Amino acid sequence: MRVMKGCLVLWLALLARQSTAQAWIDERWPLDAGGSVRIVNPFGRIRVLGWDADSVVVSARLGARAGRFFAAGDGHVRKLGVDGGNGEPAELEVHVPRGATVWVKSATASIEVEGVDGTLDLSSQEGGIRVVGTPQDVTAETMDGAVEVAGGTARARVKTVSGDILLRGASQDLGASTLSGRIVVRAAGWQRGGTGVQRGKFESVTGDVRFEGELGRGGVVEVESQSGTIDVRVPASAVADFDMLTIGGTITNHLGDAHPKPRAAGTGQELRFSTGAGGAQVTARSFKGSILLEPK
Amino acid sequence: MTDPHMDAPLNEYADGTLAARDRASVEAHLAECAGCRTAVAELRALVAGAAALPKTIEPSRDLWATIETRIRQPATWNVQRFWRGALAAAAMLVLAVGIYRLFRVPRSDLRVGEGQGWAVVQADFDRASDELSRILAVERERLRPETVALLERNLAVIDTAIAQSRAALARDPASAELRRFFAAAARQKVELLRWAARVAAS
Repeated sequence: MRVMKGCLVLWLALLARQSTAQAWIDERWPLDAGGSVRIVNPFGRIRVLGWDADSVVVSARLGARAGRFFAAGDGHVRKLGVDGGNGEPAELEVHVPRGATVWVKSATASIEVEGVDGTLDLSSQEGGIRVVGTPQDVTAETMDGAVEVAGGTARARVKTVSGDILLRGASQDLGASTLSGRIVVRAAGWQRGGTGVQRGKFESVTGDVRFEGELGRGGVVEVESQSGTIDVRVPASAVADFDMLTIGGTITNHLGDAHPKPRAAGTGQELRFSTGAGGAQVTARSFKGSILLEPK
Repeated sequence: MTDPHMDAPLNEYADGTLAARDRASVEAHLAECAGCRTAVAELRALVAGAAALPKTIEPSRDLWATIETRIRQPATWNVQRFWRGALAAAAMLVLAVGIYRLFRVPRSDLRVGEGQGWAVVQADFDRASDELSRILAVERERLRPETVALLERNLAVIDTAIAQSRAALARDPASAELRRFFAAAARQKVELLRWAARVAAS
């Protein structure tokens, strides 16, 4: 009987150990300075860090049922990640050459990228996405997670369904689209190393959209929302043509003396005025939300 | 991904209706922008595909019955996925054609064809949207419950927005602004359904 009890205790101890066992991965491969890295991790967290070395280093921690770590590729392209799991999270930290092209895909895992100057293509079903640095080009899509792009990028395209979007820094060409999330853009001007937004298109269905920042000379900014509030804040000295229209809401202008007037056709208001020639062009359209224009 | 400011010029360029003076600048842009070159190629394929379509697309009852039976059969997983994928692709084509037509209808035609072209576009959108929704209903077990809840919540949001745009358009059918809002909401729904179908398939 005592032997049986002992065996049972041993078996339970082994079972407990197995259920909490984690796998640790530490691997390194050479990669061209402008090579490509493709990373897949459905659940948990993915952190990508740019560094000044021609190699990829991955440190991963996988729960017992998080699946299998895999890696393949050569000096130009490296693919790595986790597959075959049952929903248990895995954490990946991947160092890549600063100029690398990075492609990341997850289900619910959050994605963070720091210090990568190359092209980023980041996609998650429900995880949040955060980019810090000055990548050349960013494409980020997630259904429910929030997206933040901070620092500055030549071009960014961000899309969510219900996640909020925050774009801040000295970027030139920005596009953000959401169904019910909120869009906030804080664009830095020349004082902070940027040129102001040269092209911006921000659209939502029910989410509020707020654009705050510098306009590039000759820049074009378009903001559109079906029912969210549109808030445009630019420097009082901004030189631009403003064209605002709401079909079911109201327009409030604190930027100048121009007053909105009723739309020629039906309900709503419109406001068009210019603060000088050769400046930027700002267009805001709302179906039934309000539009607010004010100095930054 | 295309440059959002190039949507209209690219449509007209693909149609061959772009003014000569703008054509050169679009071609210069295309020389440097792979995304827009791809978009033009897709638009031209779409135009060719649309031209080849019959004026009305009536799904054959017999065909649907066959497909439905095959979906319900304990057939191999791949066969079921093939048919669903094919239906999704067909629905997406109809949606894409509808939305493409939405943007490319010349202004003069908007007034003349208020009761015709616009109604056809909306009917195309409804039919394709229903088709995709039906496919998703079959595939929904492949999605996580949280994803299904999120999808349904946002589909309700977008459907409300579409209904509001549609009601406003019914009152003022010639309004270019209202058409833009309808088109934007329809595009959002297409993208949401496409996204959900892609996730279910993966």
